Amino acid sequence: MVRLTFAAALTSLALALTPITTFAQDAPSPAAAADIVPASLPEVPRNQTVVLAWGVSSGATIGTTNPWSVPPTYTHQEGNNLLWEPLMYFAIYKNEFIPWLADSMDYTDDTFTTLVIKLNAQAQWSDGTPVTSKDVVYTFQGQIDNERLQYHNQFSQEVASVTAVDELTVEVKFNAPAPRFKFEVLTEKFDTGISIVPEAYLSAQADPTAAPGRDEIPHSGPFNVVAWNNTQKILDLRPDWWAVKAGRVAEPAVKRVIMVNILNQPIDTVAQRIVNNEFDSSVDMRAQIIGTILEQNPDVQSWTGKESPYGYLDWWPNSLWVNTQLEPYSDPNVRKAISLAIDRNLIDEILYEGADIATIYPFPLYPNLQAFADSPEVKAEEAKYEPGKFDPEESAKLMTEAGFTQNGDGLWEKDGKTFDATIQAFETIHGDIAPVLAEMLRNAGFDANVNFGTDAYQNMTDGKAGLYLFGHGASLFDPFEALNLYDSDFAAAAGAPADAGRFSRYSNPEYDALINEISPLDSSDPKFIAGAAKALGIYWRDTIDIPVIQWLHRIPYNNHYWTNWPSASNPGLGTNGAFWAHTGMLVITGLQPSGN
Amino acid sequence: MASIVLTAEQRVEQPGKLTLLLRYLRRNKGLAIGLFILLCLALFTLVGMMLINPKHAYPLSAPLKQAPSLKYPFGTDFFGRNLLAAMVVGMWQTALIGVLAGGIGTLIGVVLGFTSAYFGGWIDSAIRTICQILTPIPVLLIQVVIAGSLDKRDVTILTMSFIVVLLAWMGPTLVIRAQVLTMKERQFVAVAKLSGMSDFGIIFKEILPNLLPFIAAAFVGQVFAAVFASFYLAVLGLGPLREPLLGNIIWAAQSQGAFFNGWWWWPLEPAFAMILILGSLALVNMGLDELANPRVRRTE
Amino acid sequence: MNVKIILKRLLFLVLVIWAASTIVFFVPRLSPRSAIRERFGELARTGGFSPGDMEKLIASMEKQFGLDKPLLEQYFQYLNNVIHLDFGYSLSKYPSTVTQLIAQALPWSIGLLLVTTILSFAIGTVLGAIAAWPRAPGWLRSTATPFILLTGVPPVIMGILLVFFIGFRLKWLPLGGAYSVGIVPTFSWTFFFDLMRHQILPALSLILGSVGGWVLSMRGMGVTIQGEDYVNFAEHKGLTGRRIFRDYYLRNAMLPQVTALALALGTVVTSAIIVEGLFGLPGVGTLLNLAIRANDFPVIYGVVLFITIAVATLMTVLEFIYPLLDPRIRNQ
Repeated sequence: MVRLTFAAALTSLALALTPITTFAQDAPSPAAAADIVPASLPEVPRNQTVVLAWGVSSGATIGTTNPWSVPPTYTHQEGNNLLWEPLMYFAIYKNEFIPWLADSMDYTDDTFTTLVIKLNAQAQWSDGTPVTSKDVVYTFQGQIDNERLQYHNQFSQEVASVTAVDELTVEVKFNAPAPRFKFEVLTEKFDTGISIVPEAYLSAQADPTAAPGRDEIPHSGPFNVVAWNNTQKILDLRPDWWAVKAGRVAEPAVKRVIMVNILNQPIDTVAQRIVNNEFDSSVDMRAQIIGTILEQNPDVQSWTGKESPYGYLDWWPNSLWVNTQLEPYSDPNVRKAISLAIDRNLIDEILYEGADIATIYPFPLYPNLQAFADSPEVKAEEAKYEPGKFDPEESAKLMTEAGFTQNGDGLWEKDGKTFDATIQAFETIHGDIAPVLAEMLRNAGFDANVNFGTDAYQNMTDGKAGLYLFGHGASLFDPFEALNLYDSDFAAAAGAPADAGRFSRYSNPEYDALINEISPLDSSDPKFIAGAAKALGIYWRDTIDIPVIQWLHRIPYNNHYWTNWPSASNPGLGTNGAFWAHTGMLVITGLQPSGN
Repeated sequence: MASIVLTAEQRVEQPGKLTLLLRYLRRNKGLAIGLFILLCLALFTLVGMMLINPKHAYPLSAPLKQAPSLKYPFGTDFFGRNLLAAMVVGMWQTALIGVLAGGIGTLIGVVLGFTSAYFGGWIDSAIRTICQILTPIPVLLIQVVIAGSLDKRDVTILTMSFIVVLLAWMGPTLVIRAQVLTMKERQFVAVAKLSGMSDFGIIFKEILPNLLPFIAAAFVGQVFAAVFASFYLAVLGLGPLREPLLGNIIWAAQSQGAFFNGWWWWPLEPAFAMILILGSLALVNMGLDELANPRVRRTE
Repeated sequence: MNVKIILKRLLFLVLVIWAASTIVFFVPRLSPRSAIRERFGELARTGGFSPGDMEKLIASMEKQFGLDKPLLEQYFQYLNNVIHLDFGYSLSKYPSTVTQLIAQALPWSIGLLLVTTILSFAIGTVLGAIAAWPRAPGWLRSTATPFILLTGVPPVIMGILLVFFIGFRLKWLPLGGAYSVGIVPTFSWTFFFDLMRHQILPALSLILGSVGGWVLSMRGMGVTIQGEDYVNFAEHKGLTGRRIFRDYYLRNAMLPQVTALALALGTVVTSAIIVEGLFGLPGVGTLLNLAIRANDFPVIYGVVLFITIAVATLMTVLEFIYPLLDPRIRNQ
């Protein structure tokens, strides 16, 4: 025994001393993430500071400010949107482009195959060098060459060439008509669109997608990162922002932005800290909580003031998606039966204090989309298919016709198995709605349950049995992108994973023909509207997925130190009001001191 | 006083078991209080199960967010659960997990402990070593890893119990083993051996009865650990979500900001229930320790 | 204590670490879930990122993390890494390594956990000893009672109640965060006091519920020892009460307490997961909780293993210093 013990101890010692190279991983060892620690931090009074509650580095790596840094280490959401700027922003509530680094960006032909970008002559990087066509070409070419970057697919498939015509002019040629490329890819709004990166700095890096950027990468935005650790990220205004000189905006009043990491603190603690004026704004909240915040602190406002529904419309309306290739969800009547079991009025009443949140559309009703939804073509389809109807009896009838019988527990059953209506969802955002939906379905005889596990998304992608509560991150301006989600090009075969956010696996030549017909058309074209309305009709007829609620961002804005937060009555530049979206920079730089 | 003692000795050679128990309980106050609370909780649950409709423990069965009132003595929650029903069903499920996991854990402990101590030799070293190796591993953390890697639909009250018991039998094993070892050396076992009693006979007739207080203490300890563990898993969101387990109710209340919204009854009720359950179990456990270990017995 | 015993203890330590590593390695791999895909799914959902070809990206990540290799090869690679305290890269905070993340979070947890554990141990042990000490005055012996009643209360519930009553309602102490917003950690008294103010509630939630446990075990031990011959002998020798209390009674009763302390350091971390979360402290518990939510499995395993190793090592160290506490073993 002694000898054995001794031998074992010796072995373990030897193992411990074995050079790690014997089994060394193939992975390159990238620069370690380290805190950014300021040598000294100048005092900035509280009334010149904006304090925002957010999960700093919940999804990214400390010190990563380079937008090209391979995902998932970079995110624009944690204050990096204050460093980077696009060619143009889009003001969703004014339905207009906001020229930024570019003065103009126009298709030069009717077929949407050439786009000319003209940069602002005063645009400058933080190191004082101008932003030129070279940077734009480098940004675009990088997307084409590097398949890990976010817009690689769009660029490599649609773009034929990118050329710098002169210092400030770039010409992009497309392989086929690309009427939506300017908006979808080149314009920043919400969480999509592309930022222009500095060619001089990145091309000097050994691997531009591995350089963290930290506080040294030249950027065009108004702030510098001065401190960043696990609990907070501090950004200070730099005095020489080009956009002020170029007349884009007035000199920002906010001298410092502090992103506070709320880690996984319970939401009511965060809410209380807003009430205490500790935070000026925070992550979005559920309806009940923001209602209580508004009650407790008169200085706090929401997008809709003190009134319900408190939030602005996000671009992510939620449906119960199903895998339309899988029995029994493959039967359109079964899908319709699920839809008929959902009482959308009751959802509005119990979850949203009566606000009109439940929806029947796979896209958000922004001005242009609202016009589309109100068009006589769409109204006719809606009257025909009654997509929002609540009728348990008809639901039961459809289920019986589909061959289901009710078992002793009152649950639909076929071949001895109950109908699997497990709702795959995400606790942090669906914690209120998912249990309610499950219970509604259960009352109508569907064996419903909720899965909030981290595997929920995986199950959606794999097309497992059940219902998937997920949004449509597609249309903002016209319905094309949302309708395109159901094109059979994206109908992944059984066993193959579904494309991101396209879980239906729906395939219908009739539908595809309509999509192909409207794809090259501009959204103001009457033929586009007619075709899109027909496609939407098929979406309702076949109940491809079951639309449930519009998605609202309910963000508390504290006016104690800062005013001029965007709201329905004060749209400002017309962007949405999230400080973490790409357009958040416009929100922060537009704030005015309250005098407190 | 003296006369009473005398009469007791005269009339009842062997006092009734109940009388003995009650007399003992009067001395062991912790045990008495613990048992009393447990009894009340059990009564609440059992009577509740007969009176309430279990369906009301699930969402959309009652008006929402009602403060406690005559109609809803415990109030209702954000999802329209009648909290009285939810508490009854939740207690029932919590008890189920506790008793199931505690029972299995203790059973494994007793079997392994006996085997180990009675037969000795390599079996003993093997079992002891395995237990000792597993003991320093933070069980709850491993349970978190296990629960986290399960498919959510597989997470039920039953699987919760199994997850909890999986790494929780080492304690009882070691305790029982130690006690059997000391008893093996006692005279009455030696006498039984000399009189030709078989191994099993000795185990069941001589040792087991003497071990009962220890087994009971181990069982209560295990129930405590199981309730605690299942509570933690639920609070971390790793439990069966639809069920009104006490941990689940607290978790749901927290994630809906119940305190902040002024729905104080929603998280407080399950919290106090949990305190009562765990507190009474701790008291009983302590009391049983006294019973099992005569030296700790109070002399007054 | 000779070489043989030391080696035996070390071997035991190695075995514990091996067992923990093996459990932590194999359990999650029994389930068919793909942590990397889930992780990217989460990112895609929150809109922070939408890669063109997610599958390709996932495949390349799996290769990078060595997940495309046979299971046994992964296992040996993993054991080897564990020996070097290399737990790999974090999935959600790549390219940070797990070791780095733990190192960042550790000071917070050590500060909170060690202090609270030792405080509750000290308070509990003394109160427990007094409770069992027949010569102590009645009022002193009953000081332990409230703590005993709180024994069953999980720190989470205690934390929730403290936040509600002291933070929300009375507004006496900060509601959360490690230190005040916008200041940068420095070595100054102002920062230190700010830090302490933020630590009081989390510390209380951990201490209040755990003192009782120490009281109980110490009291049990104390009562047992009272019957021992050496205590009786000391009493008959006419030693003062205080002397007996300290040298004969406390010292002997302490031994099992110290063993339990080492074990408690392991379990208390579990409570810290939620308590740290409740108060928004960036410690190991929060790291683990966020990792569970993000399904960042290298971090989960890393933290679990790290804690196991720490506890097992502590226990071994304690075994080595036992003889210092107990002359009986020293002379063996």
